[in-house]
Amino acid sequence: MNFWYFLTALTLLSASMVILSKNPIHSVLYLVFTFFCISGHYVLLNAQFLMAVNIVVYAGAIMVLFLFVIMMMDLSKNSPDSKSTLTKLAGAILGGTLLVILIAASRKVDLKDVKPIDAQTGMVEGLGQILYRDYVLPFELVSILFFVAMVGAVMLGKREAGERNF
Amino acid sequence: MNAIIALSLFGISNLFLGFLNNRKILLPATLVFILIALGLNFADWNHEYYWFNNMLKTNNLSVNFVTIILLSTFLVVAISRSFGDDDEHSHPAEYYAILLFSAVGAIMMVTFENLIMLFVGLEILSVSMYVLTGSDKRSLRSNEAALKYFLMGSFATGILLFGVALVYGATSSFDIHGIAQGVAKAKEQMGGAYGPLLYSGVILIMVGLLFKISAAPFHFWTPDVYDGAPSIFTAFMSTVVKTAGVAATYRILSISFPSVYGLWGNPLVYIVCATLIIGNITAVYQQSFKRMLAYSSISHAGYLLITVLAKRPETNSSLLFYSLAYAIATITAFAVLMVVSEAQAKNGKADESFEALNGLANNNPLLAFSLTISMLSLAGIPLTAGFFGKFFVFSDAFSNPSSLFKWILVIAILMSTVGIYYYFKPIIAAYMKKGEVAKIELSPLYKFILILTTTLTILLGLAPDLVKNIF
Amino acid sequence: MPILSVLIFLPLIASLVVAFSPDQFKAYFKWFTLGVTAIELAICIYLYQNFNHDVADYQFLEQLDWITLPLGNLGIGSIDYLLGVDGISMPMVLLTGIVMFVGALSSFQIEQKERGYFSLYLLLTGSVIGCFMALDMFLFYLFFEFMLLPMYFLIGIWGGPRKEYASIKFFLYTLFGSIFILIVMIALYLSVVDPVETAVRIGLINDVSEITPQIITEVQNLLKDLKIPSEQIVHTFDLRFMPDAGNFLPDSWLNILSGTQIFSFSARALAFILLMIGFGIKLPAVPVHTWLPDAHVEAPTPVSVVLAGILLKIGGYGFLRIAYPIFPEVATEYAFVIVAFGVLSIIYGAFNALAMNDLKKMIAYSSVSHMGFVLLGIGSLTSEGINGAVYQMFSHGVLSAMLFLLVGVLYDRTHDRRIDSYQGLANKMPLYTAMTAIAFFASLGLPAFSGFIGEVFTLMGGFNSPLIPRWLTAIAAFGLVLGAGYFLWTLQRIFFGKYWVRQFEGTLEDLTFREKSMLYPLAILAFVFGIFPHLIFDLTNATISELLKLF
Repeated sequence: MNFWYFLTALTLLSASMVILSKNPIHSVLYLVFTFFCISGHYVLLNAQFLMAVNIVVYAGAIMVLFLFVIMMMDLSKNSPDSKSTLTKLAGAILGGTLLVILIAASRKVDLKDVKPIDAQTGMVEGLGQILYRDYVLPFELVSILFFVAMVGAVMLGKREAGERNF
Repeated sequence: MNAIIALSLFGISNLFLGFLNNRKILLPATLVFILIALGLNFADWNHEYYWFNNMLKTNNLSVNFVTIILLSTFLVVAISRSFGDDDEHSHPAEYYAILLFSAVGAIMMVTFENLIMLFVGLEILSVSMYVLTGSDKRSLRSNEAALKYFLMGSFATGILLFGVALVYGATSSFDIHGIAQGVAKAKEQMGGAYGPLLYSGVILIMVGLLFKISAAPFHFWTPDVYDGAPSIFTAFMSTVVKTAGVAATYRILSISFPSVYGLWGNPLVYIVCATLIIGNITAVYQQSFKRMLAYSSISHAGYLLITVLAKRPETNSSLLFYSLAYAIATITAFAVLMVVSEAQAKNGKADESFEALNGLANNNPLLAFSLTISMLSLAGIPLTAGFFGKFFVFSDAFSNPSSLFKWILVIAILMSTVGIYYYFKPIIAAYMKKGEVAKIELSPLYKFILILTTTLTILLGLAPDLVKNIF
Repeated sequence: MPILSVLIFLPLIASLVVAFSPDQFKAYFKWFTLGVTAIELAICIYLYQNFNHDVADYQFLEQLDWITLPLGNLGIGSIDYLLGVDGISMPMVLLTGIVMFVGALSSFQIEQKERGYFSLYLLLTGSVIGCFMALDMFLFYLFFEFMLLPMYFLIGIWGGPRKEYASIKFFLYTLFGSIFILIVMIALYLSVVDPVETAVRIGLINDVSEITPQIITEVQNLLKDLKIPSEQIVHTFDLRFMPDAGNFLPDSWLNILSGTQIFSFSARALAFILLMIGFGIKLPAVPVHTWLPDAHVEAPTPVSVVLAGILLKIGGYGFLRIAYPIFPEVATEYAFVIVAFGVLSIIYGAFNALAMNDLKKMIAYSSVSHMGFVLLGIGSLTSEGINGAVYQMFSHGVLSAMLFLLVGVLYDRTHDRRIDSYQGLANKMPLYTAMTAIAFFASLGLPAFSGFIGEVFTLMGGFNSPLIPRWLTAIAAFGLVLGAGYFLWTLQRIFFGKYWVRQFEGTLEDLTFREKSMLYPLAILAFVFGIFPHLIFDLTNATISELLKLF
């Protein structure tokens, strides 16, 4: 339990650093660290497979790609903030209110009849059983989603003659 | 269900057709694909099937919704004119494929039985829209719109997912009927009270979905995105996405959470009122026809939500009828807007403003007439489909005994009068303002679609029981 | 032969014919339109001849099932194509025939976009006449709204310099009103049951034709005891069933016994007020009259003629056809308010007319004033009053058509409508002066002309009515004096004195043949109906005494 608190605090801290740090490279590194922390949570939940996937795919592949992109772009000059103080204030108040409400709500949550998990729950085998039996349709249809994303990426990324804005 | 599989395959075959380097073949092929999917969809008529471990359910209601979605997609594809003949900058094969894929997402959103399916469907639809919004790479507005839509849309999806997780925590089910049972069980155990998980979960799911149908106060992205996206995709967004979004909202609220009506009903009252007021009042001040249509789509989301809120047994059919009437009229309006703004852009004049329509009636009577009928239908003038749509929605609100609905009705009525004012602006421009629009040559298919939608609008206004009996 | 349907569909089909005929027939469109309106007028006269004066109920009934909607556990919704005329609508139908014919004659001067104009004009003819004959509230509403469209375009395309403003103002005002009517319509529809169709549904009878009063009473009793399952109930828009309190669902909003309260108003009172606003805008009653002067000033002459001659009457007709029979007890309760608004219209309209320098505006305000008498007569709830109100509507239809035609004559020649631009026209245009004098005198209520009968009877009704104080009617009577004031003053300023016209070089021609053929018959009508008022009263009397039994 104490470890959980430590990990959670670390997660929140690094997540806020992602948005607070001025340097985009730092942001990405903090994000990688956040993913590691979340993977730690997966371990606590007995989901080793998810932990591994999360580290390999998110913290590894995607974030490295992100780093490359940021390094290639010239982000050294800080563009001035476009939002007015009023907008920032309103956003902070609204977001803060939502946070307070959610925290207050979850404090009252009664978890006494949550089923305890057995040792096999998060294993690859159990996951596979569920994924390829119960949830086979959404699993297959996610491929459409990736396909759309892929087609879109190729289409938007293709170089053409003439001016473009990104 | 079969339509989902067929459309996924057709989308891929469309990409392969793109290799043929023959633009002319894509449009008819896509239309045929959609018609086949429509046919497969009708095969589920009068059956009630659960598919793949209760992931999807098809019944007559879902068949009707899918029909409206596919019909709208068909009409949008039919007015796309192969996306011009600029080989360098437009990629019709990809566009058509993504349109077909997004129809898959929309169908999932109206047939889902499991929240995972809702999420996947919503994501397919949203990602397709992000891509299509930014598809005009040379236009700064299109780029900006895509980025805006992407950022806000992913945020909304995150909120939806958060809500789904919380509801799962409260009811330990993803199945929409399972959730309903879980809610009932929770009520039993807690003695009539519900845990905070359910409360926050329901609200967050609702917020996520309302974002997609651009109900106020989650509408801020709508005008910019609709305005920035190429008109043809705006037409798709304001019809298919809206129909699917409203259907999904209605489905989950009416099946999973009818017993916690107070929980989502009370906020929804304010959301409906705000949507009606903001959508209509802001539309009055628009100078651009396209932007006006964006605000009008916000206001129509408000009318659709009234009947969701009224929670009558007739809501099903009112929702269907309204969506159909709205989709047909909106697509007609966009069809006219597209050709006119294109013709005007050649003259180097303002393109998507009301001024572009000045004097349209002189040389293009068909375009002006179709525009008029579609505007009248959107405004809800009798003898058009839109009138009966409003009529059914108001009847639903009327027959709900709750006194809240009297206030909603008062607002809805005042706002529909406001609506008439701005829907007449294009008519005034087309018939009464001085101006010149050269004769616009239309392809036979384009003419056919304009005549078809106009006739349908009038026909549904004359004999609504034709489809109302089916719904 | 379904003669009433012919009356509606003949102009509608003719409108399509005009819309789709090739350009080389352009010159014949006006003749074609004139021919169609002449046939319409002939049919109206035929109806008038064959109308049975002793029957209070609807005649020439035509009924067809149009839309049947399954409403789930709310029952079944039925919309019928139901036409018929009674003593209240017959004079209006006749008036429509006359005014549309004269309007078609006057339309000969239209010189641009003839196809659109005549097509819309015929569309307007069909929908206006349909509005007066529809007995299904939905059908009524449909015609009521639909006629706005051709009217909107007629003002908006062929109108004067501020046509866009005037046409959209006209449209929004009337549409705003009609949405109130829509609300009441939906509420009525959810409340009222068609006993005949319901009897067929629950198996009391096999066919609609077997209906007897006993069966209807039986159904009503079953309804009262909630013995009919709600899926079997047939909801209706049929205006014939709405006045009977027995046909209302026992727990519905508008049932007189349920006493539903909305915003601390009784639901029935609220519905009545909404109808009042809706039809009051059309009438138009002060303070919702401001669209009328604008619309008139910008509209071309024939459209003004139709607008003042017929469209305003639909407001008054709506009171008598819908608001009063269905909500009699509310009408009694609010009699004072309604009459007060009528009197306000009379006085306010008259004072405004006095102040106007624009001839058309002056006549428009005189219309507001004259339609106030209609409100006074209806509100009095006496036989004289309501008969007088119908008479006043008919008479004002004829006279206002004539007045606007007369303005048109002058405007065609000089393109100037200001009263102070003219002096001593009597010297140059004697026939025109005579016609104007007749129209003015008839309008201000000189005995022997039709205006007199209408005004006197409504005032009599006002004085005899136990519901309204005498002083109110007395103020209304003062409106007559004001009327005489503005008409005579205008007559004196324009026609008497030395001949002088501002900024006009040519010579003023007197009436042409076409103008004579429009104005003479109207003058004769005003005279004939002034001397033989029974020509109208015979039609209305039976129906109105039947109507008054409800109160």
